[in-house]
Amino acid sequence: MSAPLLRLEAINSFYGPVQVHFDLSLVVEAGQIVCLLGGNASGKSTSMKTVLGLQRPGSGKVWFDGADITGLPTPRIIRSGIGSVPEARRLFGAMTVRENLLMGAYTRSDKPGIAADEDRVLGLFPRLRERLKQRAGTMSGGEQQMLAMARALMGRPKLICMDEPTMGLSPLFVDRVLELIQAINREGVTIFMVEQNASLALGIAHYGYVLQTGRIALEGPAAALLRDPRIRDAYLGGAAA
Amino acid sequence: MLGAWFDYTVNGFVIGNIYALLAVGLALIYGVANLVNFAHGSVYVVGAYVGWAAITYLGTPLPVTLLCVVVVCALVGVGIERLGLRPLHGASRIAPLLATIGIALVLDQVVQLIFSPDPRAVPMQVPDWRITLGGGTIGALDLLIAGIGLTSAAVLYGFLRFTKLGWAVRATAQDSDAAKQMGVDTDRVNLVVFAIASALSGISGVLVGMYYNQINPAMSFEATLKGIVALIIGGLGNVPGAIGGSLILGLTESYGIALFGTSYRNLFAFVLLIAMLVWRPNGLFAARRSLPPEPMTGTFIARSRPLKVPSWAVAVVILLAALLPLLDAPYLLQIGANSLMYAMLALSLTLVAGTVGQVSLGHAALLAIGGYASGLLALDAGWPVAVAIPAAGLITAALGTLLVFPAFRLTGHYVSIATLGIGEIVSLVILNWTGLTRGAIGLGGIPPLEVFGYDLGSVQGTYWLCLVVLVLLALLQVRLLNSHLGRSWRAIRDDSVAARSYGVSGDRYKALAFGYGGFAAGISGAITAHAYSYINHETFGATISILALTMVILGGLGNVVGAVLGATLLIALPEAFRFLAEYRILIYGIVLLLLIRFRPQGLMGTV
Ligand SMILES: Nc1ncnc2c1ncn2[C@@H]1O[C@H](COP(=O)(O)OP(=O)(O)OP(=O)(O)O)[C@@H](O)[C@H]1O
Ligand SMILES: [Mg+2]
Repeated sequence: MSAPLLRLEAINSFYGPVQVHFDLSLVVEAGQIVCLLGGNASGKSTSMKTVLGLQRPGSGKVWFDGADITGLPTPRIIRSGIGSVPEARRLFGAMTVRENLLMGAYTRSDKPGIAADEDRVLGLFPRLRERLKQRAGTMSGGEQQMLAMARALMGRPKLICMDEPTMGLSPLFVDRVLELIQAINREGVTIFMVEQNASLALGIAHYGYVLQTGRIALEGPAAALLRDPRIRDAYLGGAAA
Repeated sequence: MLGAWFDYTVNGFVIGNIYALLAVGLALIYGVANLVNFAHGSVYVVGAYVGWAAITYLGTPLPVTLLCVVVVCALVGVGIERLGLRPLHGASRIAPLLATIGIALVLDQVVQLIFSPDPRAVPMQVPDWRITLGGGTIGALDLLIAGIGLTSAAVLYGFLRFTKLGWAVRATAQDSDAAKQMGVDTDRVNLVVFAIASALSGISGVLVGMYYNQINPAMSFEATLKGIVALIIGGLGNVPGAIGGSLILGLTESYGIALFGTSYRNLFAFVLLIAMLVWRPNGLFAARRSLPPEPMTGTFIARSRPLKVPSWAVAVVILLAALLPLLDAPYLLQIGANSLMYAMLALSLTLVAGTVGQVSLGHAALLAIGGYASGLLALDAGWPVAVAIPAAGLITAALGTLLVFPAFRLTGHYVSIATLGIGEIVSLVILNWTGLTRGAIGLGGIPPLEVFGYDLGSVQGTYWLCLVVLVLLALLQVRLLNSHLGRSWRAIRDDSVAARSYGVSGDRYKALAFGYGGFAAGISGAITAHAYSYINHETFGATISILALTMVILGGLGNVVGAVLGATLLIALPEAFRFLAEYRILIYGIVLLLLIRFRPQGLMGTV
């Protein structure tokens, strides 16, 4: 087996005196969709921030693409090939859709390549093409989620980290977003996503981890997790049936 | 007549352009760094002097002069960001604001040491012709300033709109974490913004020098203030708004001068500021009326564990202080009395800024109110001094609270800006209300200190009176802090969101804090007035407000013992090193910067 694309190794994270992660270790294999599940305040977003260099772990290491990226500044980490779809999207609301897309390509300087990717991404998200001149902040929640994903794609990342991409969307849009995540993955981009909605996330993922108060409580291939009675009790309730 | 109005309009427009060069930079900086840069006017002064030096010593033609100014000021801006502000990443949010104040003190003093405080004339570098238009005239310099203003705006627009770095600036201003996640090096963006803003500020400085044909180091404070007023009119962080706000401010001032005379000019500016803060805190051009919640990252004031001083030690110190007059060292006593008067002011400020978290930058205005109230009661109403002083305390409590009342719903930076503006308004009202205050002449012949026949006008008398009053005020403050009231005050500071849910009662607690603070500061001002026997509208200026803030931070915000210690140290130490007298303000600035960087909790710790 080749080396994993992303690997967290015995991470301990703190906010001041409060410890959020306890020896957290996980692996994201290249080409897969891996989801990190967990209830509120279990430390999911903090894992994302650790990967992106927004939160420095107290101890432990983050490996990406064979290199140690622990403690590197965020822009360096992004340049090394990671894209981000942040929690609550965090678009640049006063900028146009097009400007947001181009911000996604900020680390690149190959003009023709960027133009080609803009076309490719807009092919994936046709709704955005009609709205290129609209201010991002004035779009609907679902459209904003698409723009956030499109923006991340514009950097041509090897890995995209997504923090709750389905949050606050109507069921119809949730399905659409999940399909798009699969489409992105089929183009060869590895996905590491955080979700609260376990059944939906496991439905498209290859592998899953369950985080409970900062520790990995459960892990396995998505199909196995979906069948696991413990996860059905803890997270899925009757909804999974 | 019409011609005169045309001239006033041209003048207002030109001044507006000068303000715009200042305010645009402030808006850019607020955007990316969430910071009102109080050192902005100091960079403007640096620009004015660099221009003057280039013309005087090197004989540079205008374009080269401007280039020198741009380069030097951009470097100063880079230095401010890199050395002064970046190390404060992750500190409490008041820290960078205070750091810019410290930087302003240092820059102003350095300029003054290099170029002397005397005014200089900037040689005019444009031809001295004027064209006559409809009864009024426009000069070449007017056109130059307007041209530079418009060109800068156009270049800035192009930069923000069409360059990659410009996008990065806008993205960082909107959401710096998200910008980082796009690969933007936000530290570099900050640096670039400070460079651009400082270059524009410097250009503004030279142009002002040419326009008024005079520059001096003291003009930095007013420039900072005017920039901030224009910024608030346009809306914090709104770049086009800042330009609009500047033009409005320039025209308002110009027409104000036309209608009421020059001495009302600044009054107009600051009344406009307070009106904006009260009614349109988001600026004229924003759709939203309510204030955006300030970003909740980190507390506003650094928390720490205060040092406990045993009460017997305090008692011993008070006893020793009471015995000081027996040494028969009048000079030492004079310094002691001064320290004690400042300590009363520091008590007041440490409560308002530390305990309640309302970082006031206009606290010296309370001294002025107290001083004038007591002086006028004694002089004009013939009240005995011993009655006039406490009465002045009460008047200051009432007036101070009333003045700040409209600003109660403001938080964070807005409080500092509002109190700064209110402080300026007080001193301008004193200057202009000639019938009551004698105006610019000041208040002379104020009767000396006496209590029911006992003459306390001697140094010993003043000292003892100050000591007694200070001890009483400090004891009262300690009692208040340990009561339910003290806990409510701290609750307002620590969680303004929760405190906002107190609604009306939150205002009541703030009013009580400003009331007590006004009382203590008013007494201090009153005693000072009687001890000096002469005061005027400049006796209690903005420098004293900043000095008081430095004392309070040195002692530890909210800390009663710390406030007294901070005042004593900052008044007494420069006396001990008298050969440093020239560098006094420089030392205050450096002390402030070092404290913020290395010991934000002060000597005794915040409470
Ligand atoms: N900046 C911060 N400062 C202090 N504590 C924080 C900070 N961010 C998160 N926390 C705390 O860390 C814990 C984990 O937070 P995190 O955001 O990682 O949870 P999460 O699993 O993403 O939750 P959610 O599902 O609600 O998004 C929480 O208890 C939270 O209060
Ligand atoms: Mg989260």
